[in-house]
Amino acid sequence: MYRWGDYDEVLYQHYRHPEDRQEFVEKLTRIILDNEQRGARVPPGAYAEYGWALYEEGRAQEAIKYFEKESSLWPESRVLMKKMIAVASRSRGPTTTGPAGAVEPVIR
Amino acid sequence: MRVLALTLLAALLACAHAAGPRDYSKLVAADPRAILVVPVVNKSVEVEAPDYFLSTLPVPLAERGYYVFPVNLVKRVLEDDGLADASMVHDADPIRLCSIFGADAVLYATIEQWTARYVLLSTITSVEFSYVLKDCKTSAELWTGHHAMQYDSSAGQQGLLAAAIMAVAEKSKPSYLPMARQANIDAMAFPGPGLPAGPYRPEHGHDLEPTSPPR
Repeated sequence: MYRWGDYDEVLYQHYRHPEDRQEFVEKLTRIILDNEQRGARVPPGAYAEYGWALYEEGRAQEAIKYFEKESSLWPESRVLMKKMIAVASRSRGPTTTGPAGAVEPVIR
Repeated sequence: MRVLALTLLAALLACAHAAGPRDYSKLVAADPRAILVVPVVNKSVEVEAPDYFLSTLPVPLAERGYYVFPVNLVKRVLEDDGLADASMVHDADPIRLCSIFGADAVLYATIEQWTARYVLLSTITSVEFSYVLKDCKTSAELWTGHHAMQYDSSAGQQGLLAAAIMAVAEKSKPSYLPMARQANIDAMAFPGPGLPAGPYRPEHGHDLEPTSPPR
């Protein structure tokens, strides 16, 4: 149904080599662009994973854009994306504490 | 060649666990759209296995026509809330868990087996998974799945040297990922023991008549 590219391989490699963050972000970008350029529907979860990867990089404003894309393309994600957008909005841009330090609790 | 051999063997060795017609009435009544896939419980000794297996779950499930929540984001969100242990997540109240994410159903996957054993010029790689889908409104089980697969590196090898090389190659880099992918597809296939089409598939709501038990 969807053009996944190497989506599962990308996640797998991210768990194998979590230090290769740039590659992870780039590969997710490629999957999204490949779909957008063909006018295909970006597979469920892809915008959100990409948004999360950006958020972990401290790129909160860009992350919000992708959480919004997930939310409008996949209405089922609205509850979660609303929370993610709120979390990213509270973030004060790039942090020096790294991914873990940049993350705020979502569940309250 | 290796891929082909693997596919063939997978077909030969995959153990089917379908037993009689399944009751899909609860799943049909719940009619979930959005499935939350939570981190995987690991009963094998391979500590990396659950994350690797988790990465193979969204594609086949979404291809069955369901919205699948972003598994890595969900995992990180749970970890940040102190739920880093998958068994804690599996034991948590599904209704409360779902309400955090806005899900309709939650998929709990467990690795029963994930091994590569070297035995005399051959490496046998085995995977075995179980799956439980629970309703977010009632916590009731909507569907369960189970799949086991084996790959024997010596199958189809002509001669001892080739077999020895293949056995070492398989032992050093077992075919876990392709096997996990195939196991998921087989476990979720429908008609079969798997999941009827979700709302994003055109046959949603029309694929159950031949196999569904009388109401």
